Amino acid sequence: MSAELEAGKTETRWKLSLDTWAVVVALLLALLVRTGVLKHIPW
Amino acid sequence: MADVVTVPQVQPVQPALRFLRFIPGVLLLAAVGYAGKLLEQNVGAYAKAHHWIFPNIEYVLWAIVLGLLISNTVGVPEIFRTGVASYEFWLKAGIVLLGARFLLGDILKLGGVSLVLVAIEIVGSLAFMTFLGRLFKLKPKLTTLLAVGSAVCGVSAIIATKGAIEADDEDSSFSIAAILALGALALFTFPVIGHFLHLSDKAYGLWAGLGVDNTAEATAAGALYSDAAGKLAVLVKSTRNAMIGFVVLAYAIYWASKGQAQAVRNKATFLWQKFPKFVLGFLLISVLATYQFFNKDQVGALANLSRWAFLLTFAGVGLRTNFSEMRKQGLRPFAVGAIGEVVIAGFTLALVCGASKIFGW
Repeated sequence: MSAELEAGKTETRWKLSLDTWAVVVALLLALLVRTGVLKHIPW
Repeated sequence: MADVVTVPQVQPVQPALRFLRFIPGVLLLAAVGYAGKLLEQNVGAYAKAHHWIFPNIEYVLWAIVLGLLISNTVGVPEIFRTGVASYEFWLKAGIVLLGARFLLGDILKLGGVSLVLVAIEIVGSLAFMTFLGRLFKLKPKLTTLLAVGSAVCGVSAIIATKGAIEADDEDSSFSIAAILALGALALFTFPVIGHFLHLSDKAYGLWAGLGVDNTAEATAAGALYSDAAGKLAVLVKSTRNAMIGFVVLAYAIYWASKGQAQAVRNKATFLWQKFPKFVLGFLLISVLATYQFFNKDQVGALANLSRWAFLLTFAGVGLRTNFSEMRKQGLRPFAVGAIGEVVIAGFTLALVCGASKIFGW
Protein backbone atom coordinates (compact mmCIF):
# COMPACT_ATOMS: atom_id res chain seq x y z
CA MET A 1 0.00 0.00 0.00
CA SER A 2 2.66 2.46 1.03
CA ALA A 3 4.71 1.45 -2.00
CA GLU A 4 1.73 2.27 -4.19
CA LEU A 5 1.29 5.62 -2.50
CA GLU A 6 4.99 6.25 -2.97
CA ALA A 7 4.70 5.35 -6.66
CA GLY A 8 1.68 7.67 -6.94
CA LYS A 9 3.68 10.49 -5.38
CA THR A 10 6.57 9.94 -7.79
CA GLU A 11 4.21 9.99 -10.79
CA THR A 12 2.63 13.28 -9.68
CA ARG A 13 6.02 14.84 -9.17
CA TRP A 14 7.04 14.11 -12.77
CA LYS A 15 3.71 14.73 -14.44
CA LEU A 16 4.10 17.55 -16.96
CA SER A 17 1.42 18.26 -19.55
CA LEU A 18 2.05 17.36 -23.18
CA ASP A 19 2.15 21.08 -23.96
CA THR A 20 4.85 21.71 -21.38
CA TRP A 21 6.95 18.77 -22.60
CA ALA A 22 6.67 20.06 -26.18
CA VAL A 23 7.86 23.51 -25.05
CA VAL A 24 10.75 22.04 -23.01
CA VAL A 25 11.94 19.85 -25.90
CA ALA A 26 11.61 22.69 -28.44
CA LEU A 27 13.55 25.11 -26.19
CA LEU A 28 16.26 22.51 -25.63
CA LEU A 29 16.58 22.00 -29.39
CA ALA A 30 16.76 25.80 -29.86
CA LEU A 31 19.52 25.92 -27.24
CA LEU A 32 21.45 23.15 -29.01
CA VAL A 33 21.19 25.10 -32.27
CA ARG A 34 22.23 28.35 -30.55
CA THR A 35 25.29 26.78 -28.90
CA GLY A 36 26.35 25.16 -32.16
CA VAL A 37 25.85 21.54 -31.07
CA LEU A 38 23.29 21.21 -33.88
CA LYS A 39 24.86 23.13 -36.73
CA HIS A 40 23.10 22.22 -39.93
CA ILE A 41 19.62 20.74 -40.14
CA PRO A 42 18.95 19.61 -43.70
CA TRP A 43 15.51 19.58 -45.28
CA MET B 1 -10.31 -21.40 3.35
CA ALA B 2 -6.77 -20.19 3.27
CA ASP B 3 -5.76 -17.29 5.51
CA VAL B 4 -3.47 -15.76 2.98
CA VAL B 5 -5.11 -13.30 0.61
CA THR B 6 -3.08 -12.48 -2.45
CA VAL B 7 -3.27 -8.81 -3.30
CA PRO B 8 -2.25 -8.04 -6.88
CA GLN B 9 0.75 -5.74 -6.80
CA VAL B 10 0.55 -2.61 -8.90
CA GLN B 11 3.89 -2.19 -10.58
CA PRO B 12 4.66 1.44 -11.39
CA VAL B 13 5.59 1.76 -15.05
CA GLN B 14 9.24 2.73 -15.32
CA PRO B 15 9.82 6.01 -17.20
CA ALA B 16 12.32 4.24 -19.49
CA LEU B 17 9.73 1.58 -20.36
CA ARG B 18 7.11 4.25 -20.99
CA PHE B 19 9.55 6.00 -23.32
CA LEU B 20 10.26 2.74 -25.19
CA ARG B 21 6.55 2.33 -25.94
CA PHE B 22 6.67 5.46 -28.09
CA ILE B 23 9.51 4.28 -30.33
CA PRO B 24 7.67 1.98 -32.83
CA GLY B 25 4.91 4.53 -33.49
CA VAL B 26 7.32 7.47 -33.79
CA LEU B 27 9.38 5.43 -36.27
CA LEU B 28 6.18 4.74 -38.23
CA LEU B 29 5.37 8.48 -38.24
CA ALA B 30 8.90 9.21 -39.50
CA ALA B 31 8.71 6.47 -42.17
CA VAL B 32 5.32 7.63 -43.49
CA GLY B 33 6.33 11.31 -43.37
CA TYR B 34 9.67 10.66 -45.10
CA ALA B 35 7.98 8.49 -47.74
CA GLY B 36 5.70 11.48 -48.40
CA LYS B 37 8.74 13.72 -48.81
CA LEU B 38 10.40 11.23 -51.20
CA LEU B 39 7.18 10.93 -53.22
CA GLU B 40 6.98 14.72 -53.56
CA GLN B 41 10.55 14.84 -54.87
CA ASN B 42 10.40 11.81 -57.15
CA VAL B 43 6.87 11.61 -58.56
CA GLY B 44 7.07 15.15 -59.97
CA ALA B 45 10.51 14.52 -61.48
CA TYR B 46 9.40 11.17 -62.95
CA ALA B 47 6.26 12.69 -64.47
CA LYS B 48 8.31 15.54 -65.95
CA ALA B 49 10.90 13.14 -67.41
CA HIS B 50 8.10 11.17 -69.10
CA HIS B 51 6.27 14.33 -70.27
CA TRP B 52 3.20 13.50 -68.19
CA ILE B 53 0.88 16.19 -66.96
CA PHE B 54 0.80 15.63 -63.22
CA PRO B 55 -0.01 18.21 -60.51
CA ASN B 56 2.75 19.04 -58.05
CA ILE B 57 1.63 17.29 -54.88
CA GLU B 58 3.34 18.50 -51.72
CA TYR B 59 4.78 16.19 -49.07
CA VAL B 60 2.02 17.35 -46.71
CA LEU B 61 -0.68 15.72 -48.85
CA TRP B 62 1.41 12.60 -49.62
CA ALA B 63 2.08 12.03 -45.90
CA ILE B 64 -1.62 12.44 -45.00
CA VAL B 65 -2.81 10.22 -47.87
CA LEU B 66 -0.27 7.47 -47.05
CA GLY B 67 -1.35 7.60 -43.40
CA LEU B 68 -5.03 7.44 -44.38
CA LEU B 69 -4.35 4.45 -46.65
CA ILE B 70 -2.61 2.52 -43.86
CA SER B 71 -5.18 3.44 -41.22
CA ASN B 72 -8.20 2.55 -43.40
CA THR B 73 -6.86 -0.64 -45.01
CA VAL B 74 -4.48 -2.70 -42.87
CA GLY B 75 -5.06 -0.54 -39.77
CA VAL B 76 -2.51 0.64 -37.20
CA PRO B 77 -1.37 -2.32 -35.04
CA GLU B 78 -1.48 -1.85 -31.25
CA ILE B 79 2.32 -1.68 -30.89
CA PHE B 80 2.43 1.54 -32.96
CA ARG B 81 -0.54 3.34 -31.37
CA THR B 82 1.21 5.02 -28.42
CA GLY B 83 3.85 6.51 -30.70
CA VAL B 84 1.35 7.53 -33.39
CA ALA B 85 -0.65 9.40 -30.73
CA SER B 86 2.48 11.49 -30.07
CA TYR B 87 1.78 13.48 -33.27
CA GLU B 88 0.18 16.17 -31.02
CA PHE B 89 3.50 16.51 -29.20
CA TRP B 90 5.38 17.00 -32.50
CA LEU B 91 2.78 19.51 -33.64
CA LYS B 92 3.26 21.65 -30.54
CA ALA B 93 7.06 21.39 -30.59
CA GLY B 94 6.93 22.35 -34.30
CA ILE B 95 4.79 25.41 -33.54
CA VAL B 96 7.20 26.57 -30.80
CA LEU B 97 10.16 26.22 -33.20
CA LEU B 98 8.22 28.00 -35.96
CA GLY B 99 8.29 31.07 -33.67
CA ALA B 100 11.85 31.67 -34.97
CA ARG B 101 10.37 32.64 -38.35
CA PHE B 102 8.14 35.35 -36.87
CA LEU B 103 9.37 38.75 -35.79
CA LEU B 104 7.54 40.17 -32.80
CA GLY B 105 6.35 43.19 -34.85
CA ASP B 106 4.66 40.85 -37.38
CA ILE B 107 2.98 38.93 -34.60
CA LEU B 108 1.66 42.09 -32.98
CA LYS B 109 0.46 43.43 -36.35
CA LEU B 110 -1.13 40.19 -37.58
CA GLY B 111 -2.04 39.04 -34.08
CA GLY B 112 -4.03 42.26 -33.54
CA VAL B 113 -6.09 41.73 -36.70
CA SER B 114 -6.47 38.02 -36.08
CA LEU B 115 -7.48 38.63 -32.45
CA VAL B 116 -10.46 40.73 -33.60
CA LEU B 117 -11.42 38.15 -36.23
CA VAL B 118 -10.97 35.29 -33.72
CA ALA B 119 -13.24 37.05 -31.19
CA ILE B 120 -15.96 37.50 -33.83
CA GLU B 121 -15.52 33.88 -35.00
CA ILE B 122 -15.73 32.45 -31.48
CA VAL B 123 -18.86 34.40 -30.49
CA GLY B 124 -20.59 33.70 -33.83
CA SER B 125 -19.68 29.98 -33.82
CA LEU B 126 -20.73 29.39 -30.20
CA ALA B 127 -24.08 31.11 -30.80
CA PHE B 128 -24.78 29.26 -34.04
CA MET B 129 -23.77 25.80 -32.76
CA THR B 130 -25.90 26.29 -29.63
CA PHE B 131 -28.87 27.22 -31.84
CA LEU B 132 -28.27 24.14 -34.06
CA GLY B 133 -27.93 21.81 -31.07
CA ARG B 134 -31.31 23.04 -29.74
CA LEU B 135 -32.89 22.75 -33.19
CA PHE B 136 -31.74 19.11 -33.53
CA LYS B 137 -32.67 18.40 -29.88
CA LEU B 138 -29.16 17.25 -28.93
CA LYS B 139 -28.33 16.82 -25.23
CA PRO B 140 -27.33 20.26 -23.81
CA LYS B 141 -23.84 19.14 -22.72
CA LEU B 142 -23.21 17.47 -26.10
CA THR B 143 -24.21 20.77 -27.73
CA THR B 144 -21.74 22.62 -25.46
CA LEU B 145 -18.93 20.23 -26.46
CA LEU B 146 -19.68 20.56 -30.18
CA ALA B 147 -19.92 24.36 -29.86
CA VAL B 148 -16.57 24.62 -28.05
CA GLY B 149 -14.92 22.15 -30.47
CA SER B 150 -16.07 24.17 -33.49
CA ALA B 151 -15.46 27.62 -32.05
CA VAL B 152 -12.09 27.23 -30.33
CA CYS B 153 -9.74 24.39 -30.98
CA GLY B 154 -11.16 21.01 -31.74
CA VAL B 155 -10.19 18.01 -29.68
CA SER B 156 -8.16 19.83 -26.97
CA ALA B 157 -11.07 22.19 -26.29
CA ILE B 158 -13.53 19.31 -26.08
CA ILE B 159 -11.31 17.41 -23.62
CA ALA B 160 -10.77 20.53 -21.49
CA THR B 161 -14.50 21.32 -21.46
CA LYS B 162 -15.53 17.72 -20.76
CA GLY B 163 -13.63 17.80 -17.46
CA ALA B 164 -14.89 21.25 -16.51
CA ILE B 165 -18.62 20.65 -17.14
CA GLU B 166 -18.62 16.95 -16.16
CA ALA B 167 -19.98 15.76 -19.51
CA ASP B 168 -20.42 12.05 -20.36
CA ASP B 169 -17.67 10.05 -22.06
CA GLU B 170 -20.15 9.21 -24.80
CA ASP B 171 -20.86 12.89 -25.50
CA SER B 172 -17.19 13.74 -25.72
CA SER B 173 -16.40 10.81 -28.03
CA PHE B 174 -19.35 11.84 -30.28
CA SER B 175 -18.04 15.40 -30.43
CA ILE B 176 -14.42 14.37 -30.99
CA ALA B 177 -15.44 11.98 -33.82
CA ALA B 178 -17.55 14.70 -35.50
CA ILE B 179 -14.82 17.33 -35.21
CA LEU B 180 -12.12 14.94 -36.51
CA ALA B 181 -14.23 13.77 -39.46
CA LEU B 182 -15.05 17.35 -40.41
CA GLY B 183 -11.41 18.37 -39.96
CA ALA B 184 -10.40 15.65 -42.43
CA LEU B 185 -12.94 16.98 -44.94
CA ALA B 186 -11.75 20.58 -44.43
CA LEU B 187 -8.20 19.45 -45.13
CA PHE B 188 -9.13 18.57 -48.69
CA THR B 189 -11.84 21.16 -49.42
CA PHE B 190 -10.22 24.36 -48.04
CA PRO B 191 -7.24 24.41 -50.47
CA VAL B 192 -9.52 23.67 -53.45
CA ILE B 193 -11.90 26.52 -52.50
CA GLY B 194 -8.94 28.82 -51.78
CA HIS B 195 -7.46 28.22 -55.25
CA PHE B 196 -10.88 28.50 -56.88
CA LEU B 197 -11.40 31.92 -55.27
CA HIS B 198 -7.77 32.96 -55.98
CA LEU B 199 -7.24 33.88 -52.33
CA SER B 200 -3.89 35.44 -51.48
CA ASP B 201 -1.59 33.50 -49.12
CA LYS B 202 -2.46 35.94 -46.34
CA ALA B 203 -6.22 35.70 -46.82
CA TYR B 204 -6.13 31.90 -47.15
CA GLY B 205 -3.85 31.46 -44.11
CA LEU B 206 -6.23 33.57 -42.03
CA TRP B 207 -9.21 31.58 -43.27
CA ALA B 208 -7.59 28.19 -42.56
CA GLY B 209 -6.61 29.35 -39.06
CA LEU B 210 -10.13 30.63 -38.36
CA GLY B 211 -12.23 27.99 -40.10
CA VAL B 212 -10.47 24.64 -39.47
CA ASP B 213 -11.04 23.35 -35.95
CA ASN B 214 -8.22 21.06 -34.98
CA THR B 215 -4.71 22.57 -34.79
CA ALA B 216 -3.09 19.71 -36.75
CA GLU B 217 -5.61 19.97 -39.58
CA ALA B 218 -5.43 23.80 -39.61
CA THR B 219 -1.62 23.60 -39.90
CA ALA B 220 -1.87 21.00 -42.67
CA ALA B 221 -4.64 22.86 -44.55
CA GLY B 222 -2.47 26.02 -44.48
CA ALA B 223 0.71 24.19 -45.55
CA LEU B 224 -1.17 22.51 -48.42
CA TYR B 225 -1.78 25.98 -49.92
CA SER B 226 1.69 27.51 -49.49
CA ASP B 227 4.48 27.93 -46.95
CA ALA B 228 3.40 31.53 -46.20
CA ALA B 229 -0.25 30.50 -45.79
CA GLY B 230 0.83 27.68 -43.47
CA LYS B 231 2.77 30.11 -41.25
CA LEU B 232 -0.20 32.43 -40.97
CA ALA B 233 -2.67 29.60 -40.35
CA VAL B 234 -0.53 28.50 -37.37
CA LEU B 235 -0.45 32.06 -35.98
CA VAL B 236 -4.21 32.55 -36.23
CA LYS B 237 -4.95 29.06 -34.90
CA SER B 238 -2.62 29.70 -31.94
CA THR B 239 -4.54 32.93 -31.22
CA ARG B 240 -7.75 30.85 -31.18
CA ASN B 241 -6.11 28.27 -28.92
CA ALA B 242 -5.11 31.02 -26.48
CA MET B 243 -8.82 31.72 -25.92
CA ILE B 244 -9.57 28.19 -24.74
CA GLY B 245 -9.30 28.97 -21.02
CA PHE B 246 -11.79 31.86 -21.15
CA VAL B 247 -14.40 29.89 -23.11
CA VAL B 248 -14.09 26.77 -20.94
CA LEU B 249 -14.24 28.92 -17.78
CA ALA B 250 -17.44 30.61 -18.99
CA TYR B 251 -19.08 27.22 -19.66
CA ALA B 252 -17.84 25.80 -16.34
CA ILE B 253 -19.44 28.74 -14.48
CA TYR B 254 -22.67 28.36 -16.50
CA TRP B 255 -23.03 24.60 -15.78
CA ALA B 256 -22.03 25.11 -12.11
CA SER B 257 -24.78 27.77 -11.79
CA LYS B 258 -27.24 25.09 -12.96
CA GLY B 259 -25.89 22.71 -10.34
CA GLN B 260 -24.61 20.29 -13.00
CA ALA B 261 -20.86 20.85 -12.54
CA GLN B 262 -18.47 21.69 -9.71
CA ALA B 263 -17.97 25.38 -8.95
CA VAL B 264 -14.66 26.91 -10.07
CA ARG B 265 -12.78 27.90 -6.90
CA ASN B 266 -9.80 29.80 -8.27
CA LYS B 267 -10.41 31.35 -11.67
CA ALA B 268 -6.77 32.43 -12.24
CA THR B 269 -5.47 28.88 -11.57
CA PHE B 270 -8.22 27.47 -13.80
CA LEU B 271 -7.19 29.80 -16.66
CA TRP B 272 -3.50 28.93 -16.24
CA GLN B 273 -4.25 25.19 -16.23
CA LYS B 274 -6.27 25.42 -19.45
CA PHE B 275 -3.93 27.88 -21.22
CA PRO B 276 -1.99 26.18 -24.04
CA LYS B 277 1.65 26.53 -22.94
CA PHE B 278 3.01 26.05 -26.46
CA VAL B 279 1.65 29.53 -27.33
CA LEU B 280 4.03 30.95 -24.67
CA GLY B 281 6.91 28.87 -26.10
CA PHE B 282 6.12 30.18 -29.59
CA LEU B 283 6.15 33.79 -28.32
CA LEU B 284 9.41 33.25 -26.41
CA ILE B 285 11.26 31.87 -29.47
CA SER B 286 9.83 34.72 -31.54
CA VAL B 287 11.09 37.32 -29.02
CA LEU B 288 14.54 35.68 -29.06
CA ALA B 289 14.58 35.71 -32.89
CA THR B 290 13.46 39.36 -32.96
CA TYR B 291 16.37 40.39 -30.69
CA GLN B 292 18.81 38.37 -32.87
CA PHE B 293 19.60 35.75 -30.29
CA PHE B 294 19.86 33.41 -33.30
CA ASN B 295 21.86 34.22 -36.45
CA LYS B 296 20.47 33.68 -39.95
CA ASP B 297 21.79 30.11 -40.27
CA GLN B 298 20.42 29.20 -36.85
CA VAL B 299 16.98 30.57 -37.78
CA GLY B 300 17.16 28.36 -40.91
CA ALA B 301 18.08 25.35 -38.77
CA LEU B 302 15.18 26.00 -36.37
CA ALA B 303 12.78 26.40 -39.30
CA ASN B 304 13.93 23.03 -40.67
CA LEU B 305 13.53 21.38 -37.26
CA SER B 306 9.99 22.76 -37.22
CA ARG B 307 9.36 21.26 -40.70
CA TRP B 308 10.55 17.82 -39.52
CA ALA B 309 8.24 18.03 -36.51
CA PHE B 310 5.33 18.95 -38.80
CA LEU B 311 6.23 16.06 -41.12
CA LEU B 312 5.59 13.64 -38.23
CA THR B 313 2.37 15.52 -37.40
CA PHE B 314 0.98 15.24 -40.93
CA ALA B 315 1.72 11.51 -41.02
CA GLY B 316 -0.08 11.22 -37.66
CA VAL B 317 -3.16 13.10 -38.95
CA GLY B 318 -3.56 10.43 -41.65
CA LEU B 319 -2.73 7.47 -39.41
CA ARG B 320 -5.20 8.34 -36.67
CA THR B 321 -8.12 9.04 -39.06
CA ASN B 322 -10.26 5.93 -39.38
CA PHE B 323 -13.49 6.50 -41.28
CA SER B 324 -15.22 3.27 -40.20
CA GLU B 325 -14.64 4.16 -36.51
CA MET B 326 -16.15 7.58 -37.15
CA ARG B 327 -19.22 6.10 -38.86
CA LYS B 328 -19.97 4.08 -35.71
CA GLN B 329 -20.49 7.28 -33.68
CA GLY B 330 -23.90 8.04 -35.19
CA LEU B 331 -25.34 10.54 -37.61
CA ARG B 332 -27.06 13.30 -35.63
CA PRO B 333 -24.04 14.92 -33.90
CA PHE B 334 -22.18 14.58 -37.19
CA ALA B 335 -25.03 16.30 -39.06
CA VAL B 336 -25.07 19.16 -36.53
CA GLY B 337 -21.29 19.44 -36.76
CA ALA B 338 -21.36 19.33 -40.57
CA ILE B 339 -24.04 22.03 -40.93
CA GLY B 340 -22.25 24.12 -38.32
CA GLU B 341 -18.87 23.74 -40.01
CA VAL B 342 -20.19 24.68 -43.45
CA VAL B 343 -21.83 27.82 -42.03
CA ILE B 344 -18.75 28.70 -39.94
CA ALA B 345 -16.48 28.17 -43.00
CA GLY B 346 -18.71 30.52 -45.03
CA PHE B 347 -18.90 33.03 -42.18
CA THR B 348 -15.11 33.08 -41.62
CA LEU B 349 -14.50 33.31 -45.38
CA ALA B 350 -16.75 36.39 -45.48
CA LEU B 351 -14.86 37.84 -42.47
CA VAL B 352 -11.51 37.28 -44.19
CA CYS B 353 -12.72 38.72 -47.51
CA GLY B 354 -13.99 41.78 -45.62
CA ALA B 355 -10.67 42.19 -43.80
CA SER B 356 -8.77 41.71 -47.12
CA LYS B 357 -10.71 44.61 -48.65
CA ILE B 358 -10.13 46.86 -45.61
CA PHE B 359 -6.40 46.09 -45.31
CA GLY B 360 -5.74 45.65 -49.04
CA TRP B 361 -4.27 42.10 -48.83
